[in-house]
Amino acid sequence: MIILAIIIGCLVGIILGANAPVISYIYSDYLAISIIAALDSVFGGITATLKENFDFKIFVTGFFGNAILSILLTFLGNKLNVDIYLAAIVVFVGRMFNNLTMIRRFYLDKWSESKLKKAQELLKTEDNEKQENNTKND
Amino acid sequence: MDKRKISINKSKIAVSITIGIMSFMMIYVMLIQINLVNYDKRGEVEFLRETELKELLANYKEKYNETEQQLIDTKAKIEEYKREDKSEEDAVALLAEEVKQANMLLGNTKVKGEGIVITMENNIRYDERESSIIKSADIISLINELKLAGAEAISVNNERIVAKSDVFDVGNFVCINGQRTSSPYEIKAIGDRKHLEAALTIKEGFIDTYTNNDYIINIESYEEITIDKYEGEMTLNYAKNNINTKK
Repeated sequence: MIILAIIIGCLVGIILGANAPVISYIYSDYLAISIIAALDSVFGGITATLKENFDFKIFVTGFFGNAILSILLTFLGNKLNVDIYLAAIVVFVGRMFNNLTMIRRFYLDKWSESKLKKAQELLKTEDNEKQENNTKND
Repeated sequence: MDKRKISINKSKIAVSITIGIMSFMMIYVMLIQINLVNYDKRGEVEFLRETELKELLANYKEKYNETEQQLIDTKAKIEEYKREDKSEEDAVALLAEEVKQANMLLGNTKVKGEGIVITMENNIRYDERESSIIKSADIISLINELKLAGAEAISVNNERIVAKSDVFDVGNFVCINGQRTSSPYEIKAIGDRKHLEAALTIKEGFIDTYTNNDYIINIESYEEITIDKYEGEMTLNYAKNNINTKK
């Protein structure tokens, strides 16, 4: 059901976004940083799910809170003539890479584990066959 | 037991809806941003801005000098007229030359030279409220922009724009010099190609605002375009020269 909701949300977003109005270039910085913040939350959520400590409230507040906070910080940076959004991007993208690493490791571990299991099973069956042969020869 | 199940279902629905809305928002904002970035590729003119400005400044300086020179020439000419009052033949030749130039300025002759051609088209959508139809005001503002950028001769759908020209709406058509024309509008302007194009394509300039408003606009610059002469009547019936009656 959640996956269905994600698919529907994405489809509606694509359909509406294809005819999205062209807004002023001034807001481009803010939009970009909010997208990065949201993506960071999404990857964080995926990692948490894999680690089985996913909390929906934390996810939602992180998704919106980070986006809004990063926009506010960028605004402040513009006012103070400091490129704060660069710092925000470094943090968010760094965290995204961390999360991606965790996701990759999780699946790699799973994969190697399953391979090990298969190998063990194969060995077992071979052993059994040998034993059977031995008994027949006797 | 049943109640608990229902509450679990309810919370699951709420979670799904929230996640759906979140994914929608993210994709939507992403697409807006992508749109914005794609759209702004044309703004590369912006990067040329500094060099262009320098060029413009140099050109204006040159123009200023030229104009000053012209002023001196004109003054000299006036002196000449005063002196050449006696030798009438020369005066006639000079006057003929003047008349020729005046006619060119008035738009009474076919002219050619380097310039740009702009085509504007109505954007008709199935839903009539959403389609953008070019009004006379749009054409007038374009003509003004071109004049500001130094266009020396302008025509809209082969109707020469002169001092007497009129541009007004008749329904979804635009009347120019009393002739009804319709989309696509082809506006020709003779002048410095670079100036004209730059004046129209600068950020938040004419093209920017009008493509934002959903019109279809094209600019092409040519080494040589020809503009037809003004076809209408050019006589004054009521206005009279006031110089001689001044007291």
